[in-house]
Amino acid sequence: MRKIQLLLSMLILAFTSNALAAEADASGFTRVIGQISTAVDSFFSNYLYGFVEIVFFSYPVAGTKFPLIVGWLLLAAIIFTLYFGFVQIRRARLAIDIVRGKYTDPDSKDEGEVSHFQALATALSGTVGLGNIAGVGVALAIGGPGATFWMILCGLLGMASKFCECTLGVKYRTILPSGAVSGGPMYYLRDGLAEIGLAGLGKVLAVGFALMCILGSFGGGNMFQANQAHSMLTYAFDVPAEYGLITGLVLATLVFSVIIGGMPSIASVTEKVVPWMAVIYVGMSVVVIGANLEQVGPAFSAIIDGAFTGAGVAGGFIGALIQGLKRATFSNEAGIGSAAIAHSAVKTKEPVTEGLVSLLEPFIDTVIICTMTALVITIAGLNTAPFDGAGLTGVTLTAASFTATSEIFKYALAIAVILFAFSTMISWSYYGLKAWTYLFGESKSTEILFKVIFCVFVVVGATIQFGAVIDFSDAAIFAMSIFNIIGLYLLMPIVKRELKLFIAKIDSGEVKKFD
Amino acid sequence: MNEAGNLYIDLQKNLIKDGPKFLSHTLIVKEHKAYLKPTISAMLFCVVYIVIGFFLISLASYVYYDSAKLDLAIFLGGFGIAIGTFGVSLIQPFLKNASFDKSTGLFENSSDRNVKLARIVSLQINNKVVLRKQALNYSCFELNMLTKSGRRINIINHNNLPQLTADAEKLADFLQVELSDHCRQIIL
Repeated sequence: MRKIQLLLSMLILAFTSNALAAEADASGFTRVIGQISTAVDSFFSNYLYGFVEIVFFSYPVAGTKFPLIVGWLLLAAIIFTLYFGFVQIRRARLAIDIVRGKYTDPDSKDEGEVSHFQALATALSGTVGLGNIAGVGVALAIGGPGATFWMILCGLLGMASKFCECTLGVKYRTILPSGAVSGGPMYYLRDGLAEIGLAGLGKVLAVGFALMCILGSFGGGNMFQANQAHSMLTYAFDVPAEYGLITGLVLATLVFSVIIGGMPSIASVTEKVVPWMAVIYVGMSVVVIGANLEQVGPAFSAIIDGAFTGAGVAGGFIGALIQGLKRATFSNEAGIGSAAIAHSAVKTKEPVTEGLVSLLEPFIDTVIICTMTALVITIAGLNTAPFDGAGLTGVTLTAASFTATSEIFKYALAIAVILFAFSTMISWSYYGLKAWTYLFGESKSTEILFKVIFCVFVVVGATIQFGAVIDFSDAAIFAMSIFNIIGLYLLMPIVKRELKLFIAKIDSGEVKKFD
Repeated sequence: MNEAGNLYIDLQKNLIKDGPKFLSHTLIVKEHKAYLKPTISAMLFCVVYIVIGFFLISLASYVYYDSAKLDLAIFLGGFGIAIGTFGVSLIQPFLKNASFDKSTGLFENSSDRNVKLARIVSLQINNKVVLRKQALNYSCFELNMLTKSGRRINIINHNNLPQLTADAEKLADFLQVELSDHCRQIIL
């Protein structure tokens, strides 16, 4: 606890020195907010950019800088795909049957059980969010239409990564005496690696992952969400960027009431509303694509051409590939380890069934929904070369592309973006809290401290402009994969054994299929 | 488990799936009456939504009169009404006036039919784990009562076991009925 206090005091001291320096000649609300924004941005630039540079350490490839972390994630997805024998293709039918409840005895369903379909719907509502809307906008603004191809590829390969991590998440979860379930990479890295005689390494990786998960929950799972929610309001209603403080305060208060109070109703409402917002978003995409059906062919041509030529993209096709892979990972979180935390709470006797269910997520999230967003953007034609992100980008590019078909879409999109941002913040507060309690123990004071800091970051995220903070958000989330994937490589034989055992049980009739 | 003729009642079964992660009510006994009083923290959680709702509605009015931005005013007002209404709906269960009145001989609350105190057979404490899909799971407890006709009614539902146990003992003493602990080990 003393260590946390010391760390926090240092951070606050460093931040306030920036803020005070910036506030010296402040006059008026707009200027003050602008200066706070600059102060926050320079705080991240001055004190945390080293971290960003380490995570995104790049190596020159074909005249452009290729971040090794992107290669790390891609290589892992390829290795898992090969090692599990193309599980995402060969076991796709089985995964769909599990989701449809064909392996669940209709007469023996326990009270309160979370079915696999519910678990998938929940995980999807956590995954389908701003990554599909704002993330794709960023990918195409910087990587051109060709980035879409690489996103799809990353989504397909990432299915194997997600299968591996979610299986382990359930297998090594811990059930506390209170009945609360704790699971995720921290636990499978610690306990799984201890099982194979690598306890020391497991502890180091688990602590490293937990630290990065906390940073990720403040960055991509919080500030990015709040920031893009306010950007959407600015785009849709001309709300001045400086009024992000109000957006932030309203969002932070609502988040605070949920994560501090544990008020059941608001969480239930969010859980019910968000999947419908995802359905509405997909419906809007279908309408735009349907209304411009004749342009779908040319849009796919632009995607394929752009993927291999990289025309108009800094760094050519490598540039497109980097953006596609980065944004796909940010959206579907495969290999990052966060999904394993969410999936570990499912009620199942067979860990591998949850792994199989989870592998459908990157497919739905990235291959289907991100592609739909990319088609809408490409069809609208507002994203033109050179793709340097200087024009419309992020959520504003996506919103402008929808609005090109009908003005009404920007209002629906504004509601969807705010709800997605809110639900993602709730999900990531959970991931962050799990990592926080893993490091600092489960006590009321440590939990409340985390929750208060989390809510402060909501306000900060909505107040600041794009810049170093967003780089930090990206870096923190990608850094989680460094520790997670090392563990996945070492533990993948266990997952393979689980899969074989489950298939054998199906073949022998021990696990029955109910039609 | 109780068995009376053909009637089989599972006293271990919870009556409510959800429950708050805080102390929502305490039992107050005054002479011939025992009643539930909502705690300040419970009320505050609900008031937050009402305050935000009013704030957004006020902001919508200000935006409309100041800049005539109708779309933004509708957006803010809509969100304000939704959040405020939600807050009002949340606060209602906390305001329900559940009481056991010896002068009238009745148990009254806003959601169930009145029950004659003489028909209350026993009280039970039950436990459960509230499974949140995107948040920490937590333990929660119910104080339920059983009537002569086999009907079970929830009286208190929150996650503060010591307070719930104390209130249950107080109520059992007030009603002169048996109190039993039906908490069980829950394996998820």
